[in-house]
Amino acid sequence: MWEIGLPLQFVHSLPDNPTDAELVEGCKRGNLRAFERLYELHSSRMKSLAFHLLGSRADAEDTVQEAFLKVYRAVRGFEGQSSLATWIYRILINCCYDVMRKRQRLAEKPARSEFGRENKLSLKIALERALSLLNERQRLVFLMFEVEGLKHSEIAGILEVPEGTSRSWLFEAKRELKRTLMESSA
Amino acid sequence: MKFECGDLERALATPELMPEAREHLKTCAACRREYRVWTDISAIAKELHADWETPALWSNIRRAIETEPRPAPKPVWWKEWKTWAVAAAVVIAAVLVSRPWQWASVQNNGSSQTDAAASLAAPLSSNRDFLTDQALQEVERSEAAYRRSIEKLSQLAEPKLQKSAAPVTVSYREKLLMLDSAITETRTNLAQNQFNVHLQRELADLYREKQQTLQELLTRDQKN
Repeated sequence: MWEIGLPLQFVHSLPDNPTDAELVEGCKRGNLRAFERLYELHSSRMKSLAFHLLGSRADAEDTVQEAFLKVYRAVRGFEGQSSLATWIYRILINCCYDVMRKRQRLAEKPARSEFGRENKLSLKIALERALSLLNERQRLVFLMFEVEGLKHSEIAGILEVPEGTSRSWLFEAKRELKRTLMESSA
Repeated sequence: MKFECGDLERALATPELMPEAREHLKTCAACRREYRVWTDISAIAKELHADWETPALWSNIRRAIETEPRPAPKPVWWKEWKTWAVAAAVVIAAVLVSRPWQWASVQNNGSSQTDAAASLAAPLSSNRDFLTDQALQEVERSEAAYRRSIEKLSQLAEPKLQKSAAPVTVSYREKLLMLDSAITETRTNLAQNQFNVHLQRELADLYREKQQTLQELLTRDQKN
């Protein structure tokens, strides 16, 4: 347990490939090596997910930093009811939503009609644009499953919905993307 | 049953395309194009993963952690205090839910009755996160009505679902299985927190979806 006055642990009593439980224990003890390992494991996906939600690399980096600070502050209360990764992604998504609320980005969404004229865009750019037209839940599930490769069981844990709901939202997202892409290339 | 262009969307809901759908794609250019866009979406999505070097990010996080005030250990009275706080919250919630001050005013005040009726009419449209006992009863009645309707529709659709091996019927069957699994999961979650509006709303959506799917299957059958 953390004690007042105990310095952060720079001496690493962490195994080379720590399990979730060992990482949690390390983080709870304030072992910075454990936090660094968490960063190594998850920061790439976290940055990418935050980037797609916020549309800016600088904001994505700030949000990942904020998420790790929140993990640091709250890890003592983590009881292991979900996996550590699930918990961290949930914190990250909440941080992204905080930023989005502050900026009121939703008001800046491009109108659907703009896309019909952009039929010369490559499919990748068109897909990025079409993604921005999805509703939040569809976009989030699509990004986590198709772009970042998370499993439905993990997404369900992060969003606190049944696994079937995650599958259903993904199908809706792809159906909507297909429709938008076909309209824009017609 | 012959596979038609309109069946493609349902066929895409299954993890692997049915042989009938594949046969159809060989002869239909429009569906082939639609299917190509569908598969391209997943393929191109992988390329959307954004990766860039951030050499300073970990050192910034580390510095921020180091300058962060250390969480103080919880004092001894914490556990006892927490128990009393939980007990107090339960008592306050019980008083708020039962709303004894409204019982008296309902008898004398017509507008209060109107308000109560309005809140009953739309128990799930409330912005509150938790249902009152009264609203919960209304939700349970609605759910029972949905289930009765779904049971009737299921009985009508059952022979068709069991006998037909047509790709569309297989898609319907898989969708219904998926919905049943989601309904079971949501009901399990609700059993732990039956006052949660979000879960109740999700369950209502799932029932509605299942009812519509069954109706669609039966209507389609009548048309064919």
